[in-house]
Amino acid sequence: MSDERGRLLITGGAGYFGSVLADRARAEGHEVRIFDLNPPDDRSTDHVIGDIRDLDALRAACDGVDAILHNVAQVPLAKDRDLFWSVNAVGTANVLLAARDAKVAKVVHTSSSAIFGIPEHNPVVEDTPPRPLEAYGRAKLEGELLCHDAVASGLDVSIVRPRTVLGHGRLGIMAILFEFVADGAPVFVLGSGDNKYQFVHADDLADACLRAARRPGAETYNIGCRDFGTMRETLQSLVDHANTGSHVVSLPAKPAQVAMQALGQSSLVPFAPYHWLLFGESLWFDVSKAERELDWHPTHSNASAVIESYEWFRAHRESLGGDGKSHHQSPAKLGLLKLVKRLPL
Amino acid sequence: MQLLDRESPQRAAVVTGASGWLGRNLVRALVAQGRTVHALCARADEAPLLEVVSPLIHTHVGDVRDPASLDGLFAGTGEVTVFHVAAVIHPASVREFFDVNVGGTELVLDSARRAQAARFVHVSSNSPFGANARPTDRFTEDSPFDPYMGYGASKLEAEQIVTRGHERGDVDAVIIRAPWFYGPYQPPRQSQWFKAVRKGRFPMLGDGTQQRSMVFTEHLVQGLLRAEATPAASGRAYWIADAEPYELRTILATVREALAAEGLPVSGGQPRIPRVAGVVAERMDGLLQSRGKYVQALHVLGELKDTIACDISRARSELGYDPQTSLLDGMRASVRDCLEHGEIL
Repeated sequence: MSDERGRLLITGGAGYFGSVLADRARAEGHEVRIFDLNPPDDRSTDHVIGDIRDLDALRAACDGVDAILHNVAQVPLAKDRDLFWSVNAVGTANVLLAARDAKVAKVVHTSSSAIFGIPEHNPVVEDTPPRPLEAYGRAKLEGELLCHDAVASGLDVSIVRPRTVLGHGRLGIMAILFEFVADGAPVFVLGSGDNKYQFVHADDLADACLRAARRPGAETYNIGCRDFGTMRETLQSLVDHANTGSHVVSLPAKPAQVAMQALGQSSLVPFAPYHWLLFGESLWFDVSKAERELDWHPTHSNASAVIESYEWFRAHRESLGGDGKSHHQSPAKLGLLKLVKRLPL
Repeated sequence: MQLLDRESPQRAAVVTGASGWLGRNLVRALVAQGRTVHALCARADEAPLLEVVSPLIHTHVGDVRDPASLDGLFAGTGEVTVFHVAAVIHPASVREFFDVNVGGTELVLDSARRAQAARFVHVSSNSPFGANARPTDRFTEDSPFDPYMGYGASKLEAEQIVTRGHERGDVDAVIIRAPWFYGPYQPPRQSQWFKAVRKGRFPMLGDGTQQRSMVFTEHLVQGLLRAEATPAASGRAYWIADAEPYELRTILATVREALAAEGLPVSGGQPRIPRVAGVVAERMDGLLQSRGKYVQALHVLGELKDTIACDISRARSELGYDPQTSLLDGMRASVRDCLEHGEIL
């Protein structure tokens, strides 16, 4: 899709990031079709209800499409190894096959920084060797390897890897943080919290995906905020902004990780392996390749992204938790964390 | 490669067991020659992953035990070579050896006959020959059969079915006998073995001077393609292995060296257990198999005490087979492939 406007198929277009991407694509003048398990909020949008594991449904959705932006994924909160594999690996293969058969000019695959696990060195660049640590990261890595196979067989596929995505409408695990802050409860970092942790705003990520879709040639881009800091600094800017009496508290890293793991595995709290492994670790991308090749320039910092997400949460808090929404569009259930919230720390 | 008069034919290929360890290596090599491949995959979620590799790959999901699956696989294929790779080596029960390895071969052979396949390349094993009496002994193609347990008996019966089919003029068959594999796309059991060796937990049985032939998957693919391309191979059987057998202690040392060379920490420890433990394991394995039960750990331990080594002279002289990769380089390629797929070794 080297010309400016085209018909885009956005898989996962009714999900959290997919709907941000669809809005932006339409605003830029693209025709958008959505492929998703759930209907989009605006039912008048051209959409196909289907499962990414169903190749025939995908093939039908690809008719007349110039580019596919592939965002369907089972995110870490799903905590289901078979689902990770069938959706993130096999589902990606299906998208690539449907694209090849329909002669779609470009596929942009949204991957994940989870493929890097806890990196030995930061910044992580595009050719840092992936070393995922858990089932979600491994399935996302397999998705990337399938993209490479498809490129070798003649398809034009670019890969966009986002850091943790924030922005209006983002809930999931972040809802826990926001609920604590809104109620003036303390929020936690592991150890000193001086691990450098990078987020990305959904708008900036959507911009990167659309730019990647316009650029012919298979490439990989790491995407994150340019302006970020440590986990403690990011949370501090949020509690300063919120001014609810919430403050940042250090937890001893090892015992807290063990507790997150134990409670997460028993589903008493909504944590997945990716959360307890990464929350206290440094992971940040060098985003200069995207800046250079895509002329992409992030508009949000960690602080502005987390504050905007929080404000959206506050404005919509009463109406959250509807059915038919993805993990990242629904607030994670607090479970035992309800008790933690009341601790006099 | 100097193929000379052994240039591979350009006809299409039918591959059973296409999603397995050897199958994935073979299918990639065939499409790299520009050939159409009709691939039988056991599970529906394996098919898209294979098809992404090339538009020349046509997958069929099914089972060698199911005639309808095979009808679909062979439908409209035209003149083909059949590579019968599918087999079960570590089943849930002994019965499965005979269902898949014997019954499956019978059905695939019959499908090949009806499709008037140009050549039938059958993948067999060292197992119909049992173990060598002394570490310096080598199996040749003329060594007497002495099948080892259920697997050996099933692979022997499969060979006999193929040989009879050839003698009757049903198919033009070549039998390839391969020992223990190593190479890319390895199954979890091989990764577990790497892991155990790396952590210093894999036992050396006896003094480690027992010899084992092994075959790098790339060598085995070369052997299969030479067997297909050599007219005079008709009705013959060949051992396809690395140039020379290795002592068990050399194999373990080389795996450690390969893991270290790919940047993994390797324990210096080497547990040793007396050879008699292997004899006991073999007895127990035999007893259980006679009751239809199969226990992988016992089977592997029982076989580990023996020399199972072959002489590849006939393949060298008649097929022009020439294995070039060293054990270290092949093992390093295997380790790299695991790491690239995010496996934790």
